[in-house]
Amino acid sequence: MDLNESESAAGGGATGQPEPAGAAPRKASRGKLLIGAVLAVALVAGLYLVNRYWIAPALRTQAMSNGDHPEAPPISLTDIEGKKLDLADYKGKVVVLDFWATWCGPCRIEIPGLIELQNKYANRGFSVIGISMDDESGSVVEFYKEFKMNYPVAVGNQGVGELYGGIFGLPTTFLIGRDGRIYAKHTGATGVDVMEDEVQQLLAMSPDTEKTSFKPALAAGTSTKIELGDPAAIDSEVPGVNLAKLTAAQKESLKKQLTEQHCPCGCNFTLLKCRQVDRACRTSLKLAQEQMDKILKSGV
Amino acid sequence: MKTFLVLVFSFALAAAAAWARAPEQVVKAKVTMASLVARPDTVVKAAVMVEILPGYHINDHHPTLDYLIPTEIKLEPSKPVTAKDITYPKGEPKKFAFSDAPLSVYEGTVRVDVALQLERKTLPGNYEVKGQLAYQACNDHACLPPASVPLSFSFKVVRRVASVRRSN
Repeated sequence: MDLNESESAAGGGATGQPEPAGAAPRKASRGKLLIGAVLAVALVAGLYLVNRYWIAPALRTQAMSNGDHPEAPPISLTDIEGKKLDLADYKGKVVVLDFWATWCGPCRIEIPGLIELQNKYANRGFSVIGISMDDESGSVVEFYKEFKMNYPVAVGNQGVGELYGGIFGLPTTFLIGRDGRIYAKHTGATGVDVMEDEVQQLLAMSPDTEKTSFKPALAAGTSTKIELGDPAAIDSEVPGVNLAKLTAAQKESLKKQLTEQHCPCGCNFTLLKCRQVDRACRTSLKLAQEQMDKILKSGV
Repeated sequence: MKTFLVLVFSFALAAAAAWARAPEQVVKAKVTMASLVARPDTVVKAAVMVEILPGYHINDHHPTLDYLIPTEIKLEPSKPVTAKDITYPKGEPKKFAFSDAPLSVYEGTVRVDVALQLERKTLPGNYEVKGQLAYQACNDHACLPPASVPLSFSFKVVRRVASVRRSN
């Protein structure tokens, strides 16, 4: 570029045409806008990645290592072989409690890994327990035989799922220590290497050191905090709502009010009926709880 | 410029927080009637637009593997209206880690066509046929429990126009 061109580019040299007034400032502000837009996109993407892969996992580790290990809620079912399956019988063992279903593809990837863990560690005080969320046992029995499953499996129900905080994605797997407390929760198919690492940690520790020394795997799908269901709310006359604080008269009043309103979720049921037939409906749950809070506040 | 950057940063934080929350509703369905008025002994047509949240899929009405739960529209009996035909779209083949062969699934937005037959003796008036879209959704590593979305097909039935005989 010769001197004449560069002088022209700079806004008019001695020999070039002068640019129109205001053109240079307009070009500069458009350039700033473009830079700002690119920065914005980069910032949003960067913050998402930082949150997902650095901040959130660090927070999860922090939560776990601060002793956030609730007691595993009791489970008492009959397994598909007709035997009693009671979680209390496994106290003193490390347990992988796996919620799954025969129609769940990711569950089918995970189960061979669980079979492998059972084979490897069963004689060291470890067991997998499978809770199928299928509607009936027929398909579960077929699946059990086809996959040559080697650990106890029972068909669960919504109540059991709610005790464990609600099972919103399958597979959902809980790692329970020998002290009967939950140390990790994984939602989605989890690699056997991840679970094996956690099982080995718990098997190597005494029940006294589990709480402080355990380090959960920082895999995608590991929960930040294990929230369990409220048994009183699960067995309630208004499923999902703990009525313990209500008097008998207030309970009846609440139930009457819930039968007088329809759930806006689109089910065409009253709020009470919706709670009874669709315990997963968050709309009727929220409205029922709000109604109960109003009764408690009014004292009537 | 400083103000702009502050605004951008605030927006970015809000966006990151939004991404962290799990989706509330993975599948939505909307019914559009071809006509809101019909006559007895005719077919009422409707389109059900099914929107599936990005990142999720639901199974084809004819699933590739027999253990998968199909997507299906179920209508409540509503005499004098009966379901004449329900036409499901063809699914897209997609490969998953848990299957050797690609599976036929629905993603994004798909359309199901519903044809309702009115009996000859259908009386004039407002009619509503209720139903639900039953489905089971998964993403790449986890599956949600089977669920359904309520559907409503509403239309008005008017009298048949009397035939006119030509007098000459």
